[in-house]
Amino acid sequence: MNDTSTLDVIGRRVEVNGEHATVRFSGVVPPVAGLWLGVEWDNPARGKHDGSHEGTVYFKCRHPTGGSFIRPNKVNFGVDFLTAVKNRYMLEDGPEEDGKDQIVIIGNKPVETIGFDSVIKQQSQLNRLQEISLRSCVVNGAGDKGAIAKACPNVRKADLSRNLLSSWDEVLGIADQLAHLEVLNLSENKLNFPSGSPSLTGKFPALKVLVLNRTGITWAEVLQCAPGWPVLEELYLESNNLSISERPVGVLQTVKLLDLSSNPLIDENQLFRIAYLPRLEQLILSDVGISSIHFPDAGTGCKTSMFPSLQYLVVNDNQISQWSFINELDKLQSLHALSCLRNPLTEGDSGGAQTTRQFIIAKISQLKTLNKCEILSEERRGAELDYRKAFGNEWKKAGGHQDPDKNRPNEEFLAAHPRYHSLCLSIVWCTRRRGTPNTAAVSAQKPAANTADKIS
Amino acid sequence: MRECLSIHVGQAGIQIGDACWELYCLEHGIQPDGVVLNSKKDQLENAEMEHTNASFSTFFSETRAGKHVPRALFVDLEPSVIDGIQAGQQRLLFPPERLVSGKEDAANNYARGRYSVGAGVIDLVLEKIKLVEHCGGLQGFLIFRSLGGGTGSGFTSLLMEQLSAEYSRKTNLEFSVYPAPRISTAVVEPYNSVLTTHSTMEHSNCTFMVDNEALYDICHHKLGVERPSYANINRLIGQALSSITASLRFEGPLNVDLIEFQTNLVPYPRIHFPTTTFAPIISAASAYHEEPSVSDITAACFDCSSQLVRCDPRLGKYMACCLLYRGDVVPKDVNAAIAAMKSRSSVQFVDWSPTGFKVGINSQPPTVTPGGDLAKAQRAVCMLSNTTAVVEAWARLDHKFDLMYAKRAFLHWYIREGMEEGEFLEAREDLAALEKDYEEMGQST
Repeated sequence: MNDTSTLDVIGRRVEVNGEHATVRFSGVVPPVAGLWLGVEWDNPARGKHDGSHEGTVYFKCRHPTGGSFIRPNKVNFGVDFLTAVKNRYMLEDGPEEDGKDQIVIIGNKPVETIGFDSVIKQQSQLNRLQEISLRSCVVNGAGDKGAIAKACPNVRKADLSRNLLSSWDEVLGIADQLAHLEVLNLSENKLNFPSGSPSLTGKFPALKVLVLNRTGITWAEVLQCAPGWPVLEELYLESNNLSISERPVGVLQTVKLLDLSSNPLIDENQLFRIAYLPRLEQLILSDVGISSIHFPDAGTGCKTSMFPSLQYLVVNDNQISQWSFINELDKLQSLHALSCLRNPLTEGDSGGAQTTRQFIIAKISQLKTLNKCEILSEERRGAELDYRKAFGNEWKKAGGHQDPDKNRPNEEFLAAHPRYHSLCLSIVWCTRRRGTPNTAAVSAQKPAANTADKIS
Repeated sequence: MRECLSIHVGQAGIQIGDACWELYCLEHGIQPDGVVLNSKKDQLENAEMEHTNASFSTFFSETRAGKHVPRALFVDLEPSVIDGIQAGQQRLLFPPERLVSGKEDAANNYARGRYSVGAGVIDLVLEKIKLVEHCGGLQGFLIFRSLGGGTGSGFTSLLMEQLSAEYSRKTNLEFSVYPAPRISTAVVEPYNSVLTTHSTMEHSNCTFMVDNEALYDICHHKLGVERPSYANINRLIGQALSSITASLRFEGPLNVDLIEFQTNLVPYPRIHFPTTTFAPIISAASAYHEEPSVSDITAACFDCSSQLVRCDPRLGKYMACCLLYRGDVVPKDVNAAIAAMKSRSSVQFVDWSPTGFKVGINSQPPTVTPGGDLAKAQRAVCMLSNTTAVVEAWARLDHKFDLMYAKRAFLHWYIREGMEEGEFLEAREDLAALEKDYEEMGQST
């Protein structure tokens, strides 16, 4: 099973006792006889050295304890796709064998499995399988040409995460045979990408969801392969240590959801490069270390042309500590849902969680859902009234006045509270409709739990 | 030929119904106007639909026009919640004759729901049920309600009494919202809950309880919902319901009909309160960040924080337990996961129980409502366990009842509507007997 030809083996992904590694070297390491494989572990602490032994450098590792020398027979190069499918979904040994497996006892009583035989039978009809999961099944490639297309051509959703796929070519070898593939999960495979040649990017005519979390892919490689994803709607790129290095041109234009969580190298300036994706509705930027955002093409109170379709923004677990971030979000045209948990701004004690929520509601006029909770119209009214009261004195000191002719708040106030003026107008409008002339006397109404929910 | 009629009573029942029928429609490929999604001419698509068509007639009936109508009835004593359904997204799904509303609500008062106001609506409801019942193979009723509300407690008691009398051979499964231990919407919830539990005890065959507090905590901690509203919680309940009824609606191995639920879960008629746990619960914003394996979700079932009712099963003994896996699950993985659970010394069965865990796999994958809080998972598991630890929930309720009853607080609201103190005492005694029954179950023989 193991290739001893050096060229074949270098760069291959392998598994040793559950840990994954990349082969970096194959050969003799004197003074010990025999063939050794030099591997670089995914887990940097797993190895014994950095690829050098007694002064000689055999291969390079990024980490001083990232490498080891292992005998080839101790290493698992994996199996091809079809073998993995058969291992998982079919019974190799026949039904009698499995029927005699030990009965497990939990809590002094035997566990009874019901109907497993028919499940096994149903699942072994590979040509009817539409959804397969081969996570951690040591899949290393497609195997014989055409075999997959013959055996299980109807697969629509494939989970190939945490396998031994080492390059995009191998992925293509599998995907080319699955014409109906709509969802593909390749997370936790360290993939190598072909440099330059566009014909190697492959075609995924039906692919709607692509998950590439923790693959080490770079943004340039994403854009390189993107012409092969003409109908892609959701793209997940979590934890890839990537930075958005260029604007996508003619690619990724159909993408509706983009997950860039846990990529700490992303900063707010890079966001401008994805700001013109026409269909982008959901952007997940959790845990990227972002602290500010600004849309330079729009002044205070105007709408930006960036992120025109963005409806739902997730910025949990970041470093947002300034209200100016929230002020900027009001410039987005289509934003109606925001998740902003676990940021310094929302965690601090000043005013408490309730006040923070109210301020965010007041600052972003078209927000309909905040942190997964729908903002009912009564909550919005209360939040806007409270906001106006909270900053009323500051507004007056900054030059604000109820008489529109004398109303001249200074620049600083306007920058900090861009919506203040429209809040004043809307509240006056509301109170006029209800017939109460004195706006200052109206206090915030908290919705009664039962009635509000009954009406919703 | 094994139809189930779902009856949704009161605000809780109706809003839960809205959430769960939305999910059922997604799972069966039915659009909000009742038409089956059959747009693709692809042979494959039809093949998939064929398979799902097989058992969904348990829950949907088909009109001559090809529309699929849920076998459901929505009942409330005042019109605002039902008006919400008629104005909502699913208004085309439910024909007006399935929505029954009165004019005056029960005002959180069991007595009004049961006696004064409820009596005026019960006949109409029974008539409607008769019309639906003629389908021929009705196996039973699924009743959705809250224990603490006026309609949910009072009217349901009245309804179930009547159903027992008229349809004595049918199974009744209840899905009840137990009043949250620390968050209360009405002070008299303990009264309502105790009274209704007493009067429906003999009419219900199996009652699945969920409590709002456990659900709030799950929404808040696991799903990143800052302040869970009923909408968030009802979607979560919808997921649990979908798992529980999956075998009824799709071909499955375990609990394929209502009677089987009873056989598998209820050792004695009064001990019919299983708890529900399901996993995984992953927030939509973290979709694809975690990939829970069969072992992971199995272990999560034994975690108190995944339970939908607040109680600690480690303090009690199991009398029965069903584990139903859904989605991409192979028997090999389940066997491995269960073998790994062996070492859990905290799982104890009662001596007299003949069977231990029952485990089944339903290949139908879990679905989520788009735009909801949960991420779509490739596989899920639902554990229904009848454990003596649930007596904790009853003890809590009884304690609160006692505190108020000792001072006869709020009693006059009930007396005014024609009830007598005797009924309170009777109900309380019944619950005390229930607590004793559970204790006896747990004792070693």
